[in-house]
Amino acid sequence: MGSFISNLILASVRMASPLIFLSLAELYSQRAGLVNIGIEGIAAIGSLTGFLISLITGNPLLGVLAGALAGIAVNMIFAYATISLCAEQIVYGMAINIFAPALAAFIYRVYFGSGSELVQAGLMGSLKSMLGIKSNNFLVNLFLDQTPMVYLAYILIIVTAIYFTRTKSGLNYKAVGEYPKAAATLGINVIGIKYLSCVICGALAGIGGAYLTTCYSKTYVDGNVAGRGFIALAAVIFGRWSSGGVLIACLFFGFCDALQIRLQLVNNTLPYQFFQMIPYVATIVVLAAIGAKKAGPKSSGQPYRKEER
Amino acid sequence: MKNKGLGALIIVPVLSIIISFLIGCIIIAALGANPADAMRYLWKGAFGNVRNLGTTFSRSTPLIFTTLCACFAYRCGVFNLGGEGQFIIGSILACYIATKSPLTGVPAILLCAVAGAVGGGLWAALAGLLKVYRGQNEMIITIMLNYVATLLMGVVYTNWLRDGSVPQTVAVPDETQLPSFLGLRATIAFPIAILTGIVIFYFLFYTSSGFQLRAVGLNMTAAKVNGFNVKRYLLMSFIVSGAIAGLGGALELLGTQLRLINGFGAGYGFDGVAMALIASLHPLAGILVAIFFAALRVGSTTMQTATGVPTSVSDIIQALVIVFTVAGMAMVKLPEFKSRFARKAQKEA
Amino acid sequence: MNRKLIAMVVTGAMIASMAPAIADDTRTVAMICDSSISDGGWGMACYNAMIDAAEKCGWETMYSDSIAQSAYYDTIVSYCDLDVDMIYAPGNQYTDAVLQAAEEYPDIAFALLNGGADTPEKAANGNVSSLLPNATQIGWIAGALAGLMTDSGTIAFIGGMELDTTRAKYAGYGEAAAFVAGENGKTITLLDPVYSGDFSASDKGLEFAKAMMDQGADVFFGDASAVDSGARQAIDEANEANGEITVYDIAQPADLLGQNPCVIGSQVTDNSVLIELSMKAVEDGNFGGETLFGTLENGVLSAGEVNTELVPEDVQAAYADYIQQMIDGTFMGGAAETEAE
Repeated sequence: MGSFISNLILASVRMASPLIFLSLAELYSQRAGLVNIGIEGIAAIGSLTGFLISLITGNPLLGVLAGALAGIAVNMIFAYATISLCAEQIVYGMAINIFAPALAAFIYRVYFGSGSELVQAGLMGSLKSMLGIKSNNFLVNLFLDQTPMVYLAYILIIVTAIYFTRTKSGLNYKAVGEYPKAAATLGINVIGIKYLSCVICGALAGIGGAYLTTCYSKTYVDGNVAGRGFIALAAVIFGRWSSGGVLIACLFFGFCDALQIRLQLVNNTLPYQFFQMIPYVATIVVLAAIGAKKAGPKSSGQPYRKEER
Repeated sequence: MKNKGLGALIIVPVLSIIISFLIGCIIIAALGANPADAMRYLWKGAFGNVRNLGTTFSRSTPLIFTTLCACFAYRCGVFNLGGEGQFIIGSILACYIATKSPLTGVPAILLCAVAGAVGGGLWAALAGLLKVYRGQNEMIITIMLNYVATLLMGVVYTNWLRDGSVPQTVAVPDETQLPSFLGLRATIAFPIAILTGIVIFYFLFYTSSGFQLRAVGLNMTAAKVNGFNVKRYLLMSFIVSGAIAGLGGALELLGTQLRLINGFGAGYGFDGVAMALIASLHPLAGILVAIFFAALRVGSTTMQTATGVPTSVSDIIQALVIVFTVAGMAMVKLPEFKSRFARKAQKEA
Repeated sequence: MNRKLIAMVVTGAMIASMAPAIADDTRTVAMICDSSISDGGWGMACYNAMIDAAEKCGWETMYSDSIAQSAYYDTIVSYCDLDVDMIYAPGNQYTDAVLQAAEEYPDIAFALLNGGADTPEKAANGNVSSLLPNATQIGWIAGALAGLMTDSGTIAFIGGMELDTTRAKYAGYGEAAAFVAGENGKTITLLDPVYSGDFSASDKGLEFAKAMMDQGADVFFGDASAVDSGARQAIDEANEANGEITVYDIAQPADLLGQNPCVIGSQVTDNSVLIELSMKAVEDGNFGGETLFGTLENGVLSAGEVNTELVPEDVQAAYADYIQQMIDGTFMGGAAETEAE
């Protein structure tokens, strides 16, 4: 039983890590007033690019970097359409979700042709293997048997928390999402920050996707993001648009995921799909409970037009 | 001025389609295939003979329903992205009735259709209530509800209604399946879809209730000032649009898919929203756009097999059409664009 | 300017639509697959089997992979509309879609790999054949090696869908392992089978394998395409963390020795023989209505190469001996053979 619980905890952390990147991507976007549901698609491109570059160069870290760049590139389409052209954000995010996975599938098909070899890329090593530690103690595994990307995820959570609550720049950033017109009168470059948010969001979503193929699974499969982009959206809402909240939400959703996989091992009478529903139902419940006024940055989803100042 | 607006609504999608196809052709050429050949097989695959035409109609039917669902909701000012969930809930109810109730034949079909519509409507009402009484963003809520519906369907075909070894439900009995339409592969669900579109078109543009719903959609504040019960209208819009999608789900189950199975209805909701936008929220144009996309999907298989161009090229073309149209539509609505356009028109005059 | 462009495109489309249809005498086979053909397992082996058979018979091939369950029928029908000669559907899960399409297209041959023995009778037009490798024997081939190699006594099985053939493989795997272990003074705990519900979620395989290793499993066998690849990755990772290879995987249906360090052997099914027989039948005009069995006896099934670094020599010899017993029909006293029919 003890090993069941410790393994469940390890699995929860494992499942939560990609979610943290994707949720932070969504958080940075929403804090600047842009609801981007396209991170599912951006992650798909990031996942493929990360896989290809890691395979070609043999260096997973370069793969992650390439994934970030690819994510930024795709998200610039979203940025231009929603910031400069004032297109409806959610609809455009949806368009990205249709476009980016199709592009990823196409590139994979073209690059590998119709070969039927299993292509496996190397994964990033864990800190434990780098340090040459052999112990299989639970705490050692929890804290050391993780790839550098996992530490990066938690560092980003802390940095984000400090940035949004303790720095002038972070407060300006948040002002863009709350009261863009007021922010503009204070001399804040609203359009600039919105574009910046899309760069950050694209990079993080791309990294989140690349995580799946450079740190988690050696193979690339179409659709491997598997709805994580939308769970990230749920995590941002469930975490009430704060960095710490997002972390808790990701760990909780990761736990649900780890649990439902284990439930499938025992022939359970309670269908595992009910556990997969938890993130979505929890989000709806949270939204129903908190009411509209507290539901995220006030200008979220609204287009910003300079002329209307 | 009104004519000019209308012009943009047609020019933007048409231009988007042309540009997307040009990009598609460039990709095809870059792959070393002949774009003209590829396009020819795409066309042939979709409309080349009666059989393929039937397939295209059959594949377009669920898309027409979800497109109409989005058209109706958006016209009334509610952004229902939950077409997929409502479609699936409709099909789940239809599946229960078709396989579990003693009814068969026409009575069963009618009951399935009604239950599908009611189920879809109620599922949409969940989002509607949260929007109207809690002021929540209906897009987020409906997206979340889509996932809940898909997972619920998973429970149905892996547990509750599972039939034998493969995770899928029992097939709808022969007598309860929809009859074929004019001997084509498409069933009578196809004309029903078109009829639904015509009814919606008539309702929205030629009845006073339809006018009121659109008025609420165009300007909620003005409607409130004019004494409309906005909340009731919004809720009604949700329920009706959900019912359209739910009906589509029930008919898709009875007509084409015959059983609930992994992947049933996946993507139809978002597809419907995109198609509705390309059609400028016009129900009749929406039908054409849905058929156009279905043709691209059906034809791409022929294209792949005949020229070796992967079907994902067709996926990319479809996605580009959406990407360009939505951006283009937003662009022509920009004040800068409008004023530039007006200035240019003045000069020309 | 715009009008000119539109006119050009429209003219182009018109010219294009008038072009002649494909005229070709070569016969064609089309394969549908729900996992990827590069999944490093089932999909890959079934695709290669089709390619081998087509090469021998001079047929052309087409395929669609990674298709959703709801698209089985649609995809089959689009190939039928292209007038292919044979549809090759490698998996029991395609049975309903194949039967439905076969009724509409009486002139096309449908070869259903792992179809039920009674499936051909269900086809109204008699144009469906079952290619049926003996699932119990497949299980035996893996189970005997598992029984010899397990150290912890706990062995595991990961399935894709709860198909009849998958269940038979699981049963054969368990009984052979128990028998072989018993003869060697060991007892076997066979974990309950797990099913991923699909054949493409390699991350599910990864998590399943990790969880089953936590339960003590040290030999794995699977029937779940890409899911198996995920499981093998998890096993490799665990072995790497331990510094030595102590958890093993037995692959199928091709010889996958060397693909992953943890693979100790493979159960090999030469589906190309069965496909070739079907193609010959189509050419001779007498296709349909039969079940072509694949067994150890007729050479469709065999045991692949054994990993000589991980499997000690005496175990290799014992394993070869058991395989010979299976071929001779004397395995487990020959009693189980009737059950396997």
